[in-house]
Formats: sequence, C-alpha cells, structure tokens
Amino acid sequence: MTIDRRSFVKNTSIAVFGAALPFSGVFAQNRFAKYAGKTITINVPAHPHYDAMTKLLPEFTKETGIKVEIDKLAIGRLKEKQLLEMAKPQGDYDLACYIVMWKGEYVAKNLVHPLEPFFANPALADPAYDMKDIIPIYLENLGMVGGPKGYLAGPGAQLYGLPYGAETSVLAYRKDVFAKLNLKVPETYDDFGKALRILKEKSGMGALTSRGQAGHQAVHAWLLHLNPLGGSVFDDQWKPRFNDAQGVAALKFLQEVVATGPAGIPGFGQGESNTAFLQGQAAMYLDSTSFAGVVSDPARSKVVGNVGWALHPRGTRRASQSGGLGLTIPKNAKNAEAGFLLLQWLTSKAQDKAVTRLGGAPIRNSTMNDAELVRQYPEFEVFREALKHSNPDWRPIIPVWDRINVQALGIGISEALTGKKTAEAALNDLVPQVTQIMRESGYKI
Amino acid sequence: MRTSRFTIAVYLAPAILVMAAACLYPVLKAFELSGYKWDMGTAASSAKCVGFDNFIAAFSNPQVWSSLSTTLLFAAVCVSAEMVLGIALALALERQVRGMAVFRTIFILPMMIAPIAVGLAWRYMFDAQFGLINALLGVVGIAPKTWLADPTLAFVAIVIADIWQWTPFVFIMMLAALAGVDRSVLEASRIDGARMWHEIFLVKLPMVMHVIAITLVMRLIDAFRVLEVVYVLTFGGPGNSTEILALHVYKTAFIGQQIGVAAAVSILLLVVVAVLSWAALRLSNPMKDSA
Repeated sequence: MTIDRRSFVKNTSIAVFGAALPFSGVFAQNRFAKYAGKTITINVPAHPHYDAMTKLLPEFTKETGIKVEIDKLAIGRLKEKQLLEMAKPQGDYDLACYIVMWKGEYVAKNLVHPLEPFFANPALADPAYDMKDIIPIYLENLGMVGGPKGYLAGPGAQLYGLPYGAETSVLAYRKDVFAKLNLKVPETYDDFGKALRILKEKSGMGALTSRGQAGHQAVHAWLLHLNPLGGSVFDDQWKPRFNDAQGVAALKFLQEVVATGPAGIPGFGQGESNTAFLQGQAAMYLDSTSFAGVVSDPARSKVVGNVGWALHPRGTRRASQSGGLGLTIPKNAKNAEAGFLLLQWLTSKAQDKAVTRLGGAPIRNSTMNDAELVRQYPEFEVFREALKHSNPDWRPIIPVWDRINVQALGIGISEALTGKKTAEAALNDLVPQVTQIMRESGYKI
Repeated sequence: MRTSRFTIAVYLAPAILVMAAACLYPVLKAFELSGYKWDMGTAASSAKCVGFDNFIAAFSNPQVWSSLSTTLLFAAVCVSAEMVLGIALALALERQVRGMAVFRTIFILPMMIAPIAVGLAWRYMFDAQFGLINALLGVVGIAPKTWLADPTLAFVAIVIADIWQWTPFVFIMMLAALAGVDRSVLEASRIDGARMWHEIFLVKLPMVMHVIAITLVMRLIDAFRVLEVVYVLTFGGPGNSTEILALHVYKTAFIGQQIGVAAAVSILLLVVVAVLSWAALRLSNPMKDSA
C-alpha cells in the first residue's frame, strides 16, 4: 500500500513535468513578463512559517515585477473568511493558505483550482522546479484530493495545493533532565508511560506537555496517541471505531499525560503547550516539527542547547503525524496565473532553503539534506526519519471532519480530560452523535 | 399648534429607515436562513428550502439546551453582580472627591478595550503556570488553581472577565443618572430626618429607576451576545462547561457549516432575550410614562 501510494505520487509528478519539459525552456525567461506590475493578494495565517515567508516577498517582487499584498488573519478565523471570499463571483485572494483538514471541503465545493493545468502550461511552469523533490508524504497529505477515501494518493487523486508549512510529529526531550535521572529516551509507548511517572515524581517539573483545550486541540492531542497505538477514527466502511480498545487506550494515555504533565493541560491550546516546554515546566514535548525553530531561539526559549529530538515512540506500530498548512489557488482568483507563479516560486528549491534559513518549515528533500542547513538544524536528521513513518491517514480528512472534530469529539475528549467522564464513557457516548453526523453527510452507515 | 401627521412621518422616516436597514433586515434574514440548508462557500442560489427541519435539528440537540442553561446562569450571575457593583461604585463616587476625574477614567477603561484583547489578557492572567491570579493567590497562601482546565473554575473565569469589563458601563450610566437627581428633593428628605441609607434606597434609587431598568436591559442583551471573550478564554470548554449560546451558534455556523441550524438557534436566543427584556422593562418603563 505504502509503495503504491508513493510511487503514485512520484509518477503523477513525473507525468506533469514530463509534459511541461519540452517547451518550458523557451518560455522560462519571460514567464513573469506578462504579469509584471500586477498586484496579487495572498491570504495567510499569523504563523511562524508565514512570518518567515513574508521576509522573502520583496525578493519575489524584485525578480518578477509582481507586487504582493498580504492579508494576514488569526488562524482560527482563516476559514470563515476564505469561504465567504471564495463564494463571491470574483474573490480578493489569488493564493490562500489552508489547513490540511479543509482540502476535501474546498474541492467538494469547487472552490479551488487543480494545479496540473498550471504545471502543464509551458508558459508558466518552471523547468527546474523538480516536483519529485517535494517530500512525497507532504505532497499527498496537503495536496491530493479525490483518491482513495477522498484524501489519499492513488487512483483518482489530483493535486489541488502544495504543502507550505507542513509538519510531522517528533518527540523533544530535555537532555539535561534525562541525563540527571539516568533516563533513557522512550522508544516505545511502554517506556513512554513509565517515563511519564518517573519524570513527574523526580524531575520537579511536568513530564510531557500537551494541548488539551476543548475542540480541535484536545482531539489533536488524542490523535497523537491513537495512531501509534493502532487505532483510527473510522473503520474502512466509515463506521466509528474510535471507542474500541485502541481508542480507549489512547485516551487513557492522554489522561495520564494530563495527570503527570504541567498543571492546566485541559485548558492548553498550542501556545500554552509550547510555552510550558520552552519555559522549563515540562520535560518532554510530542507534537509538530514546526516547533524546532522556536526551541533554539534564545529570545523565546529558556531551554536552548538542552533539547534532544527523537522519533515519535512506537506503539503497536511506528507512526508519526501528517498535517500542517498548504497553499492553493481559489477558483475565483483575479490573477490565478500570477498566483501560481508566486506559489511555484515560494515552493522552489532555492526559496524553500531561504525560508528554512529564516526559521520556516522545509517541504523539500533537498532542503532537509542540505549540509549547511543540517548544521544549522541538526534535528533535521531525526525529522527525515520521522517523515518515513508519517501516516497520511492520520485523521479522516473528509469535508465533515471539522464538525466531528470540534463539535463532537472535541467536547467528549475534553470531558474525559477533566475527569467528568471515564475514557470509555466519553468515547461510547460520542458514537451516536458521530454516526448521525456521518449519516447526515451522506455516508451509508 | 397641532403637528400634522405628515410632519411627524417626515421627521420619523429617516430613523425608521436606518433602524429597518440596520436592525430589522438582519433579523428577517436570520428567519429566512433558518428555513434553508445552505453550505458556506457555495452560491446562495444552491440553498435548499427545508421548512422547519433546522428548528427540529436545533431543538432536538441536547447541546443547545445545555448551552441555553449555561447562558442563563452566566447572564444572571454577571448582570446581577455588575448592577450591584456598578450602582455601589456610582453612589460612592458621585460626590466631589479629590482626583475623582482620574478615578472615573480608570473605571471606564476596561469597557474601551476590544473584547478579543480582554479575552487574551485574562487568558494570560488565568494561566495555571505563569498567571497573575495564581501568583496573587500564592501571596495569601492559596495553592495555584488550574483555572481554565476545571469546568467550574473556567465558568468563574468567564464571569470574572465579564464583570471586570462591563461593571464600568453600569457605573457611568448610574453616575449620569444620579447627577440628574434633584438636589432639593434630597435636602427635603434630610430635613425630614432621612439617614444615608434612607436617602439611597427611598429617594435616590427610586428616582433613577428608569435608568436602572434600561441599563439592566442593555446588559442582559449584551450578556447573551458575549462571544469573543469566551472564544479566546475557553473556547467553550472544558467539555462544554462554558459554551454559551452565542458560541454554540458561532461553532454551528462556521465550524459545523450548518448556517440554517445556527440561524434557528439564534432565533431561540432572540426570543429569550426579547422575553427577558420585556420582563425587565416591566420594572420601570421610561417609554410608557412619556407616551
């Protein structure tokens, strides 16, 4: 299955570029001429990766003559604004950043352009782009829609966006604390569970920091344990299976994380969770790789130099998260082609390195393997290994997922974290609600 | 001189038109939306008429009723506390005391801050690890609390934030009303032997009862519409312990993408607020007397 999927991504990219290659050289030099002087608008979230991107844009304007306006919003308000904007006959955005979970919905509502026609257009495509170099799991997870389950690579899948600010999960730990307690970095979930107790009792700080606020944050935290422990939200027929033994084990593990972690996890968003680790209130962090830049920034981190990185511990299987942000071109963009040129430029080899140097998250193998950047970010070696285990089916990226995520699972899991319900009761009570939402959305279950 | 009906109509027309455009249109639109199934991001023409299905979906959802009871409790606690504190502060500060202008300005500052910023500021203050509130509790020997991680404490947190932000509104309304109390009446009461408490409860407050009623109505309406502070502070959690109805409407519309159901719930909110406002105005209705 994995080989099929990866080879599909590879072949798709070769087909796209194969078509473009014979002509592209002719047009390469004046690709931008037609659009020079135009102003395009990009809608992005307030997010460290996009803050780094902003610094690259003057160079884009200098090279191409295309001016770029940025519409920056809080990440929580991004989608409602985009949906309103993309429903207009002509929208204001030529390029928009989306969270992985929205890709299916945007395509189902016919709001975004497929990218193949742009890459197949020799007047626009950059012959040196090298799609094969983009980390395949990122390309599949963020970009592909229409394949198996609707969101995996395979027959029927088409590319609708490119990863930009994509991430996987890794374990960060305090080297000094582990050395002092003579503790081994947890390899498996058994070790992990034991380490939580030891750290809680002996380290003088919380064991593992975690998100936990009601809604998406609590579900995100639970999914981090559900996948490695062999669970999944739905079975292959889309029937809820999240309340099975694996689902309960994952939630019990998260309850243990709350009990042994820094105080207040059931109220923690991503910011609070990160801060607890950065300020030395927790000995471990298990979450997005996008955290790496901040950890080594002395202005924001008290733990610079004391942090080691390791793979997401192995449960019944080795798995790490797939997710993060991507860029897409709205169907109603005024300047879709110029928007594509910016998308292509930002995700090119040179600019991927440039944004990484500024603290952004890389999307290309060539960046992750770049000797100079690996010197700057030694953790890339662990990240490369983590990406090999990144599961594209981490969460069901179906159009109705947001509703299930925030309005059903997000409330029940939160209730389990505060002790209002047991793990079993919380998950069992959610089954009828999630089943009903799935039926309302047309799934015959 | 008798004013003709035409003149009255001409003078009233602009105000009625503005009210109709600004207030009535959105309400009517909410009624219309509640009859349709429409997905955000798709053309309005693709909306399907579903009759009362959205109301059935909304009213058969236990989360709506639990949100309504959370909202009623939130509004009752916040508005009572704000009215008592606001009136007490106004009575204390209506006299000419040195530095009063500074005090008054400081008291109304919270009201001028954007609700999102209020939410963020309180989120930091209630932080279990680094928050100011826990630091202050520590000074008096109370163990730190996980404010936003406990259902009861999280509810207390949103109540405190609302009281902090909106007591000043009651305060300035009452200050203005008390300034208008006829001094000769107060003097007369004093000559008749009224003490300070008599003066407050038997003279001053009855004389400003109209303003108290209007302030109460305005606070009630606002308390039912609170969204941003709760959105930032708790996002309705833990569980759904702080999911007030306005936040439920927001989540249903913009996360669940059920615009029609959200409109149906917002109509429920409208009815509840209208009934409560009517009840509050029965206390003392200034418009009735002037009619």
